[in-house]
Amino acid sequence: MLDLRIPTGWFFTIIGLILVAMGVFFPGERAALTESNVNLYCGLVMLAFGGFMLALSRWGAKHGS
Amino acid sequence: MTLAAIDYVILVLYFAFVLGIGWHLRKKIATSGDFLTSSHSVPVWITSLAFLAANLGAQELVGMSGNGAKYGIITSHFYWVGAVPAMIFVGLFMMPFYYGSRARSVPEYLKLRFDEKTRALNALSFAGMTIFSSGISMYALGLLLKLVLGWDFTTSVLASAAIVLAYTFLGGLTSAIYNEVLQFFLIVMGFSPLAIMAVLKAGGWSGMSARLQTMTLPSGHTGDVMVHSWKYMGHTADNPMGIEAFGLIVGLGFVMSFGYWCTDFLVIQRAMAANSMSGARRTPVIAALPKMMMPFIVIVPGIAALALSQMAVGYDLPMKNGGPDYDQVLTTLMGKFYPAGMLGVGLTGLMASFMSGMAGNVTAFNTVWTYDIYQSYIKKGAPDSHYLMVGRITTVVGVALSIGTAYLAQSFNSINDFLQLVFSFVNAPLFATFLLGMFWKRTSANGAFFGLLTGTLAAAATHGLSMAEGKGGWITNLHTFPSPMAQNFWIAIMAWTTCFIMTALVSLVTAPRRVEDLRGLVYGVTDLKHDEEVNWYARPVPIAIGVAVLALILNIVFF
Repeated sequence: MLDLRIPTGWFFTIIGLILVAMGVFFPGERAALTESNVNLYCGLVMLAFGGFMLALSRWGAKHGS
Repeated sequence: MTLAAIDYVILVLYFAFVLGIGWHLRKKIATSGDFLTSSHSVPVWITSLAFLAANLGAQELVGMSGNGAKYGIITSHFYWVGAVPAMIFVGLFMMPFYYGSRARSVPEYLKLRFDEKTRALNALSFAGMTIFSSGISMYALGLLLKLVLGWDFTTSVLASAAIVLAYTFLGGLTSAIYNEVLQFFLIVMGFSPLAIMAVLKAGGWSGMSARLQTMTLPSGHTGDVMVHSWKYMGHTADNPMGIEAFGLIVGLGFVMSFGYWCTDFLVIQRAMAANSMSGARRTPVIAALPKMMMPFIVIVPGIAALALSQMAVGYDLPMKNGGPDYDQVLTTLMGKFYPAGMLGVGLTGLMASFMSGMAGNVTAFNTVWTYDIYQSYIKKGAPDSHYLMVGRITTVVGVALSIGTAYLAQSFNSINDFLQLVFSFVNAPLFATFLLGMFWKRTSANGAFFGLLTGTLAAAATHGLSMAEGKGGWITNLHTFPSPMAQNFWIAIMAWTTCFIMTALVSLVTAPRRVEDLRGLVYGVTDLKHDEEVNWYARPVPIAIGVAVLALILNIVFF
């Protein structure tokens, strides 16, 4: 059966990378009501979540779950 | 609001992933059981999140944030009172019979426990309801995308339906469930930053509360009602929702909530796909944990929106016909807080919530149609490959019917109100039937059938004899409710009580089924064996206690 952690992990890793790139290369992209670099911070969180899912699936493959 | 190229890239990437998951899972489909029930093969963390996501449609996200701005944290009762207790109950006490009976659907359980006519009644009303609710949510999504982004109604409805069709057609229930988990994560990731930023901008929870306390709501209540879930529940006049604690706890918390979470095959189907009895029991219990946190993602941004509209920061509540347009609160907030990039993620999350809700309806419709209607009444005893084919065709037909309903809803606006009403008539008494059927072996088939009928009639009669905001009272008006919500709660209470009493009375004068026929179906004549394979801390009961304590704490903190 498909290990769902793998596509979930890749999906959020890719989205995270896109957002981080947006945050780094276009730091001027701001919405009306906020001063913070929303893309960068949200991108980092998604990147971390994606990485965590991928790590879990590797760990699971090793330990048979 | 306009989207940048990068937002479309994210949307397309998401479509690619959901279709990819469907494509990957297509190889696992060999039998009708694989396609329609996942053959009891899905890990519990996946069934739990799918259990939650199938119920988390776009209408819920949009509607609940709107309710947050309109009624405040009182809206969280739909989660903490109106979902968590029922989710714990169905997991601990009812799942052993659903899963253990080897029924493939809720109507099939009714057939095993009672008889054919009870199953037919439930299967037909359920099949109709799923098609209509998926059509109505499709209509709501199409309308929203048209309003917010200027997308063409037909294009957005057809495109999102085509994607749901593609991945459910390929991988059946398993594909729907797996995608629901991805969709759930995307919804959380896409909406929680909005909640955090909106609340921070409004001065944090305490700053927001202080600001709201000084204002008067459009309904004339003090803004303090926005930040307390129980304080203003003493009388219907005290809160803008027009409800009081008894109607809330009994009507919503018991009848409506248990009627939905414990008997609706849309959610039960996810738990029944679990790979063990223990997993099936844990599914709704584990799902209750994220469920009780949902108010922070969907309701709190609405409250923050109201607070922000009182500050000179450049946010106003969206308006329509001279009053606030609460359905647009969520999308206008996104436009004010998300730059290009994150805006794409937020809107993709909205699409994801729509798709998870729709796929839930389509897969439940499939199973009920194929097994409970087609196999039972149209063509019995065909080889399994025939039913697999019927299941696949039903997927296409189900999606097509939903699209038709979406257009029907577009042309006749009042049809939505009418259908919501019919759903409440049908659903309210159901839980009485299941409660008596599962826990009292004397309950007879005729009792169940007669109870359901009279319960539905009692719901209709209550609606016909009472009014709220000019609705109802089509027989004569004996009582006027302070709000449609209060009226709904009392319709449910009357329907449930009637069904319960009539089922019990008729059961006492009709012949019960033989005890041997009830093994595995009724409490007391079932050897309950489950959980042997798991450690004590991973068993349903300890998890349920933890979940219940947390829910209690949330109620106290936001009292």
